[in-house]
Amino acid sequence: MALLNKLVVPTEGTHNEHSVKDVLGTSRESQVFTPEWKNYEKILFRFFFIYFSLQVIPLDWKYYRDLISLDWFSLHFGNFFYLAHYTPRFFSNVPVFEDWLVTGAIAIAGAIVWGLADQRRREYNKLYYWLRVALRYRLAAALLAYGFIKFFPMQMPLPSLSNLNTHYGDIADWKVFSMSTGIVPGYESFLGLVEISAALLLLYRKTASIGAFIIIPFTGNVILSNLAYEGGEYVYGSLLASFAIFLLAYDVPRLISLTSQEKITSPPRFKPSFADDSIRNARIILKSVFVFVFVVLYAFRTYASYSEDIYQYPNSKGLAGASGIYTVTQFSINGKELPPSATDPLRWKDVVFEKWATLSIRSNSPVVPQIATTEEIFTDNDDRIYEFSGTTSRHYYTYRIDSAQHVLTLKNRNSHHAADQFTLKYERPANDQIVLSGINAQNDSLRVVLHRIDKKYLLQEAAKQGRRRGLKL
Amino acid sequence: MSANTPDTSLKDTGTAKWKQSHLVAFRIAFIFFISICIPNNLEWYKHVISIDWTRLHYRDLYDIARFGSGLNIFGNTIFGNALQGYANWIITLLVSIVGGVIWTFIDKKRKPEPAEYNLLYYWLRAIVRYRAAIGIIGFGFTKLLPVQMPYPSYGLLNTDFGDFTAQKIYWLSIGIVPWYQVFAGVVEITAGTLLFFRKTTLIGAALLFGALGDIVYVNFAYDGGVHVYSSYFVLLSAFLIVHYIPGLYALLIKEKPAQIVSYYPAFSKAWQRFGRIGIKVATIGIFLVWLFYLQWINFLYDPYKQPSSKGITQLRGYYNVTTFRVNGKDIPYSPLDTVRWQEATFENWTSLTFKVNKPAPLDLSNGGGDPQRDINRTFELTGTAGGRRVFHYYADTLENILYLQDKYKAQPDRRNIVAGAGGDGPGNGAPAESRIDIPANRKGGIYSDDWISQQAWQHIGNEVNFIDPRAATARRDREFAQAGNKFDKRNRMVLNYQTVDGKHVILKGLNEDQDSIYVVLDRADRHYLLSEGKLVAGKY
Repeated sequence: MALLNKLVVPTEGTHNEHSVKDVLGTSRESQVFTPEWKNYEKILFRFFFIYFSLQVIPLDWKYYRDLISLDWFSLHFGNFFYLAHYTPRFFSNVPVFEDWLVTGAIAIAGAIVWGLADQRRREYNKLYYWLRVALRYRLAAALLAYGFIKFFPMQMPLPSLSNLNTHYGDIADWKVFSMSTGIVPGYESFLGLVEISAALLLLYRKTASIGAFIIIPFTGNVILSNLAYEGGEYVYGSLLASFAIFLLAYDVPRLISLTSQEKITSPPRFKPSFADDSIRNARIILKSVFVFVFVVLYAFRTYASYSEDIYQYPNSKGLAGASGIYTVTQFSINGKELPPSATDPLRWKDVVFEKWATLSIRSNSPVVPQIATTEEIFTDNDDRIYEFSGTTSRHYYTYRIDSAQHVLTLKNRNSHHAADQFTLKYERPANDQIVLSGINAQNDSLRVVLHRIDKKYLLQEAAKQGRRRGLKL
Repeated sequence: MSANTPDTSLKDTGTAKWKQSHLVAFRIAFIFFISICIPNNLEWYKHVISIDWTRLHYRDLYDIARFGSGLNIFGNTIFGNALQGYANWIITLLVSIVGGVIWTFIDKKRKPEPAEYNLLYYWLRAIVRYRAAIGIIGFGFTKLLPVQMPYPSYGLLNTDFGDFTAQKIYWLSIGIVPWYQVFAGVVEITAGTLLFFRKTTLIGAALLFGALGDIVYVNFAYDGGVHVYSSYFVLLSAFLIVHYIPGLYALLIKEKPAQIVSYYPAFSKAWQRFGRIGIKVATIGIFLVWLFYLQWINFLYDPYKQPSSKGITQLRGYYNVTTFRVNGKDIPYSPLDTVRWQEATFENWTSLTFKVNKPAPLDLSNGGGDPQRDINRTFELTGTAGGRRVFHYYADTLENILYLQDKYKAQPDRRNIVAGAGGDGPGNGAPAESRIDIPANRKGGIYSDDWISQQAWQHIGNEVNFIDPRAATARRDREFAQAGNKFDKRNRMVLNYQTVDGKHVILKGLNEDQDSIYVVLDRADRHYLLSEGKLVAGKY
């Protein structure tokens, strides 16, 4: 970034006591000292100004429609999340790199027009400053949005019982990543804390570069893990990284001069002027509103959701006292008993009752996996597909309980298997036994006897007593 | 701690007097950091002396860089508590404080009294830079050429997620994305390389601090067991960063002109200049160039967490167990039966695994370290439950007989003995090796010493030679030569195998209880949702 180098580092070698005093004696309108920018610097700046403004300022009318239609008295944290997730999208609902090209093309055209209309301009110090302000706040909002749902670990929840009873090879890469992070909520909170801290550093001019410096490798890691695990957030992650790089670039020449070349290095000469009372007040009010909405209110709403309702899993109540994994001791279809089998296409192998109203069946009946690789926040139970997306080998059913008739109505949750349904009468002859009888979607009659297994998960047993002593499982 | 970093005074203080507090802090820091940069255990010195530089194994160089340090003459516990391994640091610090105080008294008597330690500070920083650099580069290469976290074997792919330890889950989650592992290696090696040079020390140290800080947290979260060694790099990098803090604070926060003045000794004599360049070139040559080559060979022919010998080519993949007889009695398929195999896998290397619903003792270690013999390379079973047994086999392909030994061992061999923290060297609390009592059905027959006949051995060949000649090393030869001295009391099986193309396999012979078994395996065409392994290590 030669542009920035010229911009901020005073001519080296000519440094003397006099110029140091000048800088120390900071006058409010210090632009006076600033030399004229080079032509190419001005051209590059016009491009970057338009480019990043388009990336940051929502021009889509729907954004404002959504904003106005929000019910500000019963906000869900998902609302904040979407507010902070804006990017200009020209092709689909998901951001793609082609969006950057379009934005870049517009910026080139705009920069040409602007250059023709504004030939006598000496420098853009003030605009450069405000562009950085916009980017700092935009980046901070995004980091806070992601940071808090990690800090209160919901983005990647603890794996469900069904997930624990799925073969490693039957899980898609991105889901493995999510489950692997989900087992260590403390680590997830720590990652969230890093994001939140970087965001807070970005809110202050003096610490903004430190925040940007922290977030570049952090976001770089997010981008690479999204690419590696076939996640869908790498375009958005790259956008955030580009903001951080642009912000840090402002200080890079100075940092190299100070820490690598070990030269006498001066701070930037330009300082924003807040002499006017109205500007000063507006600044304080806007900053306070931002902090209140994206830190205080959002943290509070996220926490509320975390303590009541982990948004990735349905919150409907399951059959009382039934949660656990069951082995299938008897299975008959249309009166014909099928013995246990590793290969039979119909016979169930095991069944999991979750705490919520989900039942999952492992069998050889093929599963077409459903994919959900971008971060979405759903309040409707039917939309909460995390528990089964990105896995095969188990069919997941949501069920309604008719407790008077002792009937469960099961419906396959996967949209590829929407026709798959059961109506089953349930009996519970013993605490660990459930007998299901009824019909499936093809009107075959079924009778299934389930026995709950006292399954010991190494994941939990090793966590209890550590890995150092031997275990027998 | 560094008085030679003015913020606003902008005077050259390279020769100025240090503050009294800085002098004392420096003396303590000097003793402390020198102590933790010097190998503290005899095994390391023995290893370095005995290295055969003509037939190197990557682990030889890795071990040079991976040593235990800190003062251990007072033991490694405080009131009997190892403080998760950090007690050594605290003991070292306490000794350093005492040493620093004594040093201060001695200095008071000296005429003239030393006013600064610029030269010593330079050397201390240089030593810390090089120590951190070679340590992290050694670590980084096992990721750059991704062998530290292998792609899951067939057996592991067919194990439920809840049947792993947290440590295993983390290791596997990196193993499935080798390119990401490469990226992590690039970060570590870049950080280390930047530390070799003065001008890039800060960026290298900052990168190291961030990356290893994350790894410390990962190790605590997943019980990974390498928390002390990763914290070590955080500590070293933090020390290197301290030098720059006052200057950065002045420039960024106080927004004042600033300068960082570092003292660099003038290497005026020719031998000094050549010595400096020689050491630098040798270090970079050995730890960046040569180690890269050795690690590359390891990746190609001998990935250290997987067996290096290839398995029988026809016998590969995941099998359903369609028939299972014990002593002639048929046992139908049941997920609850405690004898019958439910499923089996033949790995790409010399392993047979099968699943039985019967509790078994588990090996919860990392499955890493430096074992050379295939039977001791246990990543495919460590940190894993779910009833899967893993057996290593020697194959007599002329007689179609597999000689199988359980890869689980009640007392695993010691690993990483030159490493202090995290290794099994003396004084690290590892149990002493001893004989284990064996039950009656584990005596005689296939448990006798000559369970593999001379003729069969001739057919099998010598395992030490199974490897590609480019990966044959002195370390491998030495370990195989000593193998006879180990107390290898393991479960055994001897099975005859019959197959045409590997799809349908019949196994007949004696199981670990010396019961005769007859097993029919039919390969299942398993389609995994998990992406297939890219960048596969080893030649199978």
